[in-house]
Amino acid sequence: MDISLLIFLSSGLFLGWSLGANDAANVFGTAVGSRMIRFTTAAIICTAFVILGAVISGAGAAHGLGELGKLNTLPGAFMAAFSAALTVYWMTRAGLPVSTTQAVVGAIVGWNWFSGSITDTDTLSKILATWVACPILGAFFAALIYKLTAWAINLSQIHLLRLDMYTRLGLIVAGAFGAYSLGANNIGNVMGVFVFASPFTDFTLGDLGTVTSVQQLFLIGAIAIGVGVFTYSKRVMMTVGEDIMPLNPVGAWVVVISHSIVLFLFSSITLEHFLAVNGLPTIPLIPVSSSQAVVGAVIGIGFLKGGKGIRWRALANIASGWVTTPIIASVICFVMLFFLQNVFNQEVYRDVRYSLSSAVMAHLASQGVEVKGLEPLVGEDISGGANFRERIEAHSDLPRTAEKQVIDAAEIHPMKITEAALAELDREYILPTQAAALEALRGDAFEHRWQLAEVLSQSSEAWRRREDNTLNKAFNKHLSAQLDYIFRLLSSD
Amino acid sequence: MKSVKLALFSKMKVMQGMIDDFLDKVSNGGMKFEQGIATFLEYGGDDVRCLDKVRELRALEMEGNRLRRSIETRLYTEMLIPDFRADVLALLEDLNFLLGLVEDILLAITVEKPEVEDAFKDEFKLLTATAVKTMEAAVLAARAFFRNIAAVRDHLNKVGFHEEEADQIATRLRKALFDSSLGLDRKLHLRYFVDKIDNLADEAEDAGDLLAIYSIKRSL
Repeated sequence: MDISLLIFLSSGLFLGWSLGANDAANVFGTAVGSRMIRFTTAAIICTAFVILGAVISGAGAAHGLGELGKLNTLPGAFMAAFSAALTVYWMTRAGLPVSTTQAVVGAIVGWNWFSGSITDTDTLSKILATWVACPILGAFFAALIYKLTAWAINLSQIHLLRLDMYTRLGLIVAGAFGAYSLGANNIGNVMGVFVFASPFTDFTLGDLGTVTSVQQLFLIGAIAIGVGVFTYSKRVMMTVGEDIMPLNPVGAWVVVISHSIVLFLFSSITLEHFLAVNGLPTIPLIPVSSSQAVVGAVIGIGFLKGGKGIRWRALANIASGWVTTPIIASVICFVMLFFLQNVFNQEVYRDVRYSLSSAVMAHLASQGVEVKGLEPLVGEDISGGANFRERIEAHSDLPRTAEKQVIDAAEIHPMKITEAALAELDREYILPTQAAALEALRGDAFEHRWQLAEVLSQSSEAWRRREDNTLNKAFNKHLSAQLDYIFRLLSSD
Repeated sequence: MKSVKLALFSKMKVMQGMIDDFLDKVSNGGMKFEQGIATFLEYGGDDVRCLDKVRELRALEMEGNRLRRSIETRLYTEMLIPDFRADVLALLEDLNFLLGLVEDILLAITVEKPEVEDAFKDEFKLLTATAVKTMEAAVLAARAFFRNIAAVRDHLNKVGFHEEEADQIATRLRKALFDSSLGLDRKLHLRYFVDKIDNLADEAEDAGDLLAIYSIKRSL
């Protein structure tokens, strides 16, 4: 492994450490703060389950941020992660509550701004919507579960000491589930920006299956989270319990369970598939803020009790942190990228070029896109996604979806199917029929992603996208992920 | 895992047993006190039956003290019920105080041997029984605090009722004493013990008032 790669990955590890230091308190804060569980016990359980969650279920939410901004160089990814980590660390030291997810989103937007790349507003809207939905869902689940729990406890006439014992066990189990969900949902924040540059190769553990390079990357990130839990989270755990309103241990258990359910909902590929197959609306797989879920859950219980115990000033402080965190991370990232590029001569972004060739125009026309207004741009080589979009908007009045189709089709992404690339092909991830279709194109070169996808689709059914409906959603999504992998592998940039 | 669970479970059962034992001691102490007063009024303070009651009540009081200290120590060393620990310990101390109070009153009566006229014996017995009912209702409220929080209010209602009744009986008895032809020395001596027994009901009511607050804190 290249030493420079280690240096660049260190920012992700720093971010992981910050996440562990800050967010572990959301899972075990009230339990440790109220002395129901010892800190060491909590730290061990938290670390173990964060690692399991990140490695087993981390892939789902990790892709979500990739759609917001396509960080395409290692120094750029380093600075995005470093800016987010610095923001989180700085605000934690200042005693201000902070969301790691929001810091990462802000940093990615800062990179987009610096590199002239497009910030996908659809994805950004989805993310912003989850920042509203997450606390609301947390409140809803907490209120419901608290009501049911109180009813069950009163009905059972359980002895106070027995209830104490069950609450402790419940806090441990809920904490483990919460840590798993935290790992699954937030590893995307920590290591998602480095997925494209994973230095690891897949290896097989015999009958146990394959550990992919992404899983290995997530394992390192999860270990960094664990180090953060052990080294810095105790102080945060001891103070987080009563910031917004005092909670008894049963209330603490309800908050942790509700938080875990919300994070699980936003990271479970299995759930998404189940909903899709049954024709139900799916929940987007995006990293959501653990802190927001906890705050929402606490408020849900507070409102159930009439709202009197809620410390509104503390809540206002927390909410203001949610607004300032992404802004600060974005500004820090922009400024630091400037220094990294101009002072340290690092390539913080790879210039993405766009060209509306006749082939591209014909392809767009076949997709039903109105291309007449784009004719003045034919033959031009335009640099930067934001710049290209401005040129499109200046010459035509295409709707947003059509505009996105034009941008995707015109993006120049040189690829060549070389012997070296075919030798590196992950034949566990790509089916034999798919690999055969690629091998038949040995030596061929392509300028645009859609060109390769079309050729593959024509040569093999295994590469053919199925009809867009709920039953085929999972297949098409997997096919898109396979194509993204092939495009990266064959890139000659 | 199974052994850890068993260890946790057995610790919890032991603590439950100790708390139940302690409450039994307080309850028995009240009944023993009532029997002691009845024996004193029937046979006098020097009778061996009366002295036996004093001895038995003293043993109950010492055992109650031992259990209370044991419970306190375990609650802290094993970090049990951290959010209710202070309330539970305060409750146990209030009940332990009642147990100590009945022991003091019975001992004082057998030492000072007030001369109770036959006309007043029934009223003394009634006052004692009512004060003990107040104490008993407080113990039941304490049991409900641990298992059935909704029932605490019902028992505390009875505490208030019996305390009110004890006050009325005490007032009636004091009036009867000072309206009688007894010498002032005997009137004052007997009034002293009326006050002591009535005070038992007052202390039980005070314990009940604090228990009402603990139960509000405990409710979900």
